Amino acid sequence: MATATVKPTVQIGDEVREMNEVEFAQYEFDQAQSKIAAKELADKAIARQSVLDRLGITADEAALLLG
Amino acid sequence: MPNEQTSVPLFTSGEVLTAANMNLSAGTGVPVFTNTTTRDAGFGGANEKVLAEGQLCYLSSTNVVQYYDGAAWATVGPATASAFTFINSASFSAVSSVSLATNTFSATYDNYKIIFLVTSSSANDTFDCRFRAAGADNSTTNYLSNWVASGASVSGGVGGTSKLSLAFVKASGVQALTLDILSPVLASPSYCSWQGRSNDSGAAVAALTGAGTFTGSTSFDAMSFFPNSGTITGSYRVYGYSNS
Repeated sequence: MATATVKPTVQIGDEVREMNEVEFAQYEFDQAQSKIAAKELADKAIARQSVLDRLGITADEAALLLG
Repeated sequence: MPNEQTSVPLFTSGEVLTAANMNLSAGTGVPVFTNTTTRDAGFGGANEKVLAEGQLCYLSSTNVVQYYDGAAWATVGPATASAFTFINSASFSAVSSVSLATNTFSATYDNYKIIFLVTSSSANDTFDCRFRAAGADNSTTNYLSNWVASGASVSGGVGGTSKLSLAFVKASGVQALTLDILSPVLASPSYCSWQGRSNDSGAAVAALTGAGTFTGSTSFDAMSFFPNSGTITGSYRVYGYSNS
């Protein structure tokens, strides 16, 4: 049996209610965008560390070279 | 001004009162003068009342009511208009988003101050906002924002193009923000700047400050505030800055 999705609660002024369909769609879009941004950051960190490992230096040493 | 008078008469015993005399007395319960000069000249002269404690008057040049305290005149009202006016407030508990009531922003004020307090949150994440009109958030890609912070684990961020990134909320701490919102109602870009505090690692506190813009010319009547994930508990108050 299908169950209705429990949507997050929002407050507008003094009114408290579940998100409507439009708000929930935006919420899910924001969550997806946030995950993409977090993955991009993690991928960059991995790539940066990979370069540092190949060069055999630390991040602080790399900063000194670029400074 | 038909109510204005130049003296407060004193009638003597046996004097015949004319219609003009009676009209002057009955026409105004409180003597009305043009200004403080005519007020002061209206008492104490020949056939005029001696000024005494408790006397009232109205000055038409400045639209104020005054009373005499026995030594000097003092203004009763109206009270001077405040430069800073409370608009509304609310408390919220474990919600994913908090929106100001529709028409919180209006043509009455161009600029606003919001005191926003998050006493607890369910997750460590960024804290964002969007402008709002007619009951719906504006999520177009017209937002620019940047904030910096002093903390070790709360170090600042750049907002996405569909929202303003304000700060960082930590599940273990309190986040307090004061925001100035400039020209949200006007048909021009809307601006905001803010400062506040957030919990950092352990008991440390992070100080933060930021600024943002909605680059379009949409007129807004409210804003929504929300953590990137989880829920928040706290309260807010909104004030309007007088335009003059």
